[in-house]
Amino acid sequence: MHGEYKMPGGKLVVVDLALSDGCLAQVQVSGDFFLEPDDALHAIDAALEGQDAGADEHMLATAIRVQLAPGVMMYGVSPEAIAVAVRRAIDQGAAA
Amino acid sequence: MTRTLWRDHDWHLIHVDPQPPALHMALDEVLTHEVGTGRRPPTLRIWEWGGPAVVIGRFQSLRNEVDAEAARRHGIEVVRRVSGGGAMFIEPGNTITYSIYAPLSLIKGMSFQEAYAWMDAWTLEALGELGIKAWYQPLNDITSEGGKIAGAAQAHRGGAVLHHVTMAYDIDAAKMLDVLRIGREKLSDKGTQSAAKRVDPLRSQTGLPRDAIIDHMIATFRRLHGLSDDALRAYELAQAQVLAGEKFTTPAWTGDVP
Repeated sequence: MHGEYKMPGGKLVVVDLALSDGCLAQVQVSGDFFLEPDDALHAIDAALEGQDAGADEHMLATAIRVQLAPGVMMYGVSPEAIAVAVRRAIDQGAAA
Repeated sequence: MTRTLWRDHDWHLIHVDPQPPALHMALDEVLTHEVGTGRRPPTLRIWEWGGPAVVIGRFQSLRNEVDAEAARRHGIEVVRRVSGGGAMFIEPGNTITYSIYAPLSLIKGMSFQEAYAWMDAWTLEALGELGIKAWYQPLNDITSEGGKIAGAAQAHRGGAVLHHVTMAYDIDAAKMLDVLRIGREKLSDKGTQSAAKRVDPLRSQTGLPRDAIIDHMIATFRRLHGLSDDALRAYELAQAQVLAGEKFTTPAWTGDVP
């Protein structure tokens, strides 16, 4: 399942994932955004792994936010923008 | 750490013979580190490309961005760089690429947006002197009346910031669209005619050979910020060659975001 979201004033966020027993699995966030330090990307993927497929954008963004180490800087991307892309992947995947 | 100005630093220039794509990736990592430790003075490096390449951003998905079969067919090396941002399509002579390795103090207290524009102010001035009215388009693009000219990316490592920019001189758009997947959507998104055969904002708007533009850019940097001619130290090159082999040419790194 694949979802994309161009954050207004920001960059493109892409999410690829699968569903396993109603939970997010094999989550991969990608895009042309900027993150410091760069290993924050894997922390974001890990934060989304296992989340309920019914979680709304707010819940998904919160799950990312609590997982991020202090001092992580995001440019052209945000937990909310990633959450939108995740929802699109799930919803469009379900519709397909 | 207090904020420093361009003229507070002793800028050095590296502009050497063409090098393979993976070595360029490695040189960015090594030279950023060297400037961060203070062993190397702040440096401007102009790249010359030894072969065609697709350079994807640190956080881009390899399979989403690159048509691997098309890249193979065209003999194009695919590499992942250390900074974020979007994919670039490179053939020797079709772009102008440079890196600036600076102490973090140069952008101290700036927002990301301010820091990008600050690092490229000399470029906008150089372009203006060549007759191109160019400006910064946040977050990380340099654009002009004749369309987008360049994309920039920054990465912070230790005490240093890497700021690198690739400018379109004269790009074969058909080949680029054959190899880059996202490019197909992005071009339509930006209103560029998909029928365009070349993306050549620098060539068409200056009428100058690529080398002349580079010479002028170097002269502008030298006038504004000061610049001494330099070369790669032997140990820097040796380190970068090891890193190119052990990291930047490996499927583990290139496919880190598969």
